[in-house]
Amino acid sequence: MTEQMRDAVQETFVEVVEKLTFMFGERAAIADVAVGTEPWAEARMSFTGDVKGSLAVIVPQELQPEIASNILGLDSELMARPEVLDDALREMLNVVCGHVIRTLAGPSCSFDLVTPENVVLSGADLQALLEDPDTSAYLLDDEPILMNLKFERS
Amino acid sequence: MAFNILLVDDSLTVRAVIAKALQLAGVDIGNLYEAENGAEALKVLDQEWVDLVFADISMPVMTGEELVERLHESGAIKDLPVVIVSSAGNEPRIKRLRELGIRDYIHKPFTPEQIREVVDKVMGVTSHD
Repeated sequence: MTEQMRDAVQETFVEVVEKLTFMFGERAAIADVAVGTEPWAEARMSFTGDVKGSLAVIVPQELQPEIASNILGLDSELMARPEVLDDALREMLNVVCGHVIRTLAGPSCSFDLVTPENVVLSGADLQALLEDPDTSAYLLDDEPILMNLKFERS
Repeated sequence: MAFNILLVDDSLTVRAVIAKALQLAGVDIGNLYEAENGAEALKVLDQEWVDLVFADISMPVMTGEELVERLHESGAIKDLPVVIVSSAGNEPRIKRLRELGIRDYIHKPFTPEQIREVVDKVMGVTSHD
């Protein structure tokens, strides 16, 4: 992936997440991501077609309620249901993924999205992601979030 | 005029967001039905009168694309407006879905205003008066 494509993907990620969550997003350096002992949640999905690969969005678990409440609306009774937090993260991933693929491969690219899955990351998993060159970092209302994109043309 | 609306998406979040967008857009809703995939949607359509369907594309069991194909094959899509709301759309797929009879396509993320515009256009009314 060229630097120009990487920039376009990161710009798309910020635009879509801001529009979906009504939270302020900005790019950040991986080195600026402070990793403490709090658990992080990952939603990952793969895609196939003219392009193939996978995309993951990784957030501190403590940020999930805010993301879900902003997507759903603050007064939603659904917020009391833990499965809704994972569902909201999967939906954020789903929307980001479609836009990122179109940014990289154009509007006529044919692709299918595979149902996303949630995972709670161990410290080692998170460290491996931070060392992965396909991972980029962002701040969402000053809280760190990560995106990991594996992408290739079929 | 109140519309009976069916929301088809495997995500509870999306169904809730579309329901809220319909409410914020001032759409007069009679009954709001929900289905997690195309197969469940067909069961609802078999049992209930539905005026308008909002459906995703990527769903387990039966996708939105398969649902549209089934409604096209049965001829039901001529009288039942179907709007696809998805992030998995691309030009060839949207073109094919339009050929099969969907009335409109909304890219996620969407706004209540977009939902209102589509309802007005598809149902031929001003729903927010």
